[in-house]
Amino acid sequence: MTLRSLAPTDCSMTKETEKKLRDEVQALMEKGTIERMVGYEAGSLKFSTTPLITTDKADAERLVINPFVHSNLSVFLPGLCGKVGIVVKECDSRSVVALIQDKQVERKNLFIIGVPCSGVIDVAKVEKLTGLDRDEIDEVAWKGKKVAVTYGGNTKEFAAEEVLSDSCFGCDPSGFKECDMVLGEAEPVVGDKDSGRSKVKELEAMAPAQRWEFWKGEFSRCIRCYGCRQVCPVCFCDRCFVEESEPQWISPLPKWQDNLIFQVIRMMHVAGRCTNCGECERICPVNIPLGALTTKVEEIVDELFQYRAGTDKDAPPLMAAYKAEEIEDMMR
Amino acid sequence: MKKIKKQDVKGLLEKWQKDFAVFVPSSASGVSQMDAWDGKETAFLDRNRNTAVPPKAKFLPSMEKMFGFRREKGTYTLEPTNGDPPRQLLFGIHPCDARAIAIIDAVFKDAYDDRYYLSRREKTVLIGMACAGPYDSCFCTSLGYGPSDSADVDIMLTDIGDSFVIEEVTDKGKELLTGSKGVVDATKDDEKKAAAAKTSAEDKVTRKIDTGEISKRLPGAFDDQEFWEEISAKCVSCGICTFLCPTCYCFDINDEMLQDGSGARYRNWDCCSFSVYTRMPAENPREDKWRRVRQKVYHKYLFYPELFETIACTGCGRCIRQCPVNWDITQTLNALPAGKKEETKKAA
Repeated sequence: MTLRSLAPTDCSMTKETEKKLRDEVQALMEKGTIERMVGYEAGSLKFSTTPLITTDKADAERLVINPFVHSNLSVFLPGLCGKVGIVVKECDSRSVVALIQDKQVERKNLFIIGVPCSGVIDVAKVEKLTGLDRDEIDEVAWKGKKVAVTYGGNTKEFAAEEVLSDSCFGCDPSGFKECDMVLGEAEPVVGDKDSGRSKVKELEAMAPAQRWEFWKGEFSRCIRCYGCRQVCPVCFCDRCFVEESEPQWISPLPKWQDNLIFQVIRMMHVAGRCTNCGECERICPVNIPLGALTTKVEEIVDELFQYRAGTDKDAPPLMAAYKAEEIEDMMR
Repeated sequence: MKKIKKQDVKGLLEKWQKDFAVFVPSSASGVSQMDAWDGKETAFLDRNRNTAVPPKAKFLPSMEKMFGFRREKGTYTLEPTNGDPPRQLLFGIHPCDARAIAIIDAVFKDAYDDRYYLSRREKTVLIGMACAGPYDSCFCTSLGYGPSDSADVDIMLTDIGDSFVIEEVTDKGKELLTGSKGVVDATKDDEKKAAAAKTSAEDKVTRKIDTGEISKRLPGAFDDQEFWEEISAKCVSCGICTFLCPTCYCFDINDEMLQDGSGARYRNWDCCSFSVYTRMPAENPREDKWRRVRQKVYHKYLFYPELFETIACTGCGRCIRQCPVNWDITQTLNALPAGKKEETKKAA
């Protein structure tokens, strides 16, 4: 099998950064600062990466950094013991902080390595733009502030807005939280946050009845694989409410009503923890636009509480803290 | 061999629609799957890659009502579901997915007499389409067949440009074509073109496994906890790979009851990757993730062949393509420990 590592031409995620990461991790593992490393290695499909979780310092050579480092690796942290090193993008660093806030991991057991990320390319968007599947595309690479896509012998250039992952818009790549080491600097490719909320805008413009029909259609496809929950770093409950049988909160059957309720309750549970990393939408096998929900949830949390999840490890978790001046009667 | 012009296939589907519920590969719902034909769409005649949701859903739906019931004065009355399912025709199914159905028939037909599955299965005809565009995650040619194998369909179509070459595989298939407009005898040249298309598709399947070596190594690899822990570390224990696997058939049974005493029993897809799997009747004996990942591999490649003499995997590659973390079963199968580890250790 050929494993491809595709490095962009003009972005911060260069071969040099990759080499630096490998060297640093190897040294840190040799010293014992890191006992277990969580990073990315080349995936087995084109334009993909896959999580690498290892205790072997020789594996540092397998680490990669490129515009396809989609996964939010912080999801693996709560299950790992010992001193854990983790590669984070700026957005993922917020999830790590959220986990520290919720006491799912201890800060002292982590060694957080920030990698300069100028944006993750959403392969699903490239597929849509070209009308092709991932494996039919020959090359995807940064070219200045554009992304060059080669297929069938031709190269087409797309604006970053068209191909970046929704969660990249409005990102501040130098806004790392809690890193023990940062491997360089990156400029934001698209500073305009609005580009990432086009679906939300579309939904906001609908009348409630129309919106209801929209979600009914989307959730009719849900097969209840729970992929969204499983890749979510802040869905860390030992036992999810959907698995409770006494009382049974919702039916385990994939009826659209229960599918919708499952997601609505999940959103309520992650509000104030969710960093809108976009993983749930990226991995949904039936293409439900869950990112519209997480984007909106983040906005509502900001509006009501002026709170942004995962920005301060010492801040009490929003939904688990009580203030004397709470206005709700039920809280007094 | 016969042939039909692509432009005449619509007429064929219209004719079949009079007797069958016709399903075709479609993305109209927002995900690619076998959907009821709308009488217009024909894009799948030119481009037909494996659907995301496998056609098994047409035999074993993600959820189905088994029967209704009513509780009155301390007793239950059962209400059977309404009659038999309609006759259905699946058009454009690929050899891998047709083979998958033949594989799981063994469970529903031989091991049990599962009327829910069989009533659909017996009323279904499969119009196969040779796969012209295997994905880079496909590895069907390692499993004893290929992207144009016609063994498990009633009719097989092979794309030769503006026409399909037709192979009538079963009597049922032959009957379906009788008197159909536009169906003519294929020429030697057409048959040559079809053969070339088949070879070209086979060449596109580059991912390989060695089933002989795998069956040799699996028995000895079972207790290698270190190996299973390592390869399962990145699995997030979701249900995507099993739900979208064309040969995974596990289901759970759930009752729903209203306060008035009426209710129904349903079955729905279940998945051995879930930590709560089989917790309803007892406990999940595989609480550790590595045991669950191991179970998935062993069930497909060792236990199922022991029971039914066939590997429960068709190499369709959905589990690789759709996995959130790109967990790749072929990498695991190709890296199985040789099984001599314990003896080597002891000798040392």
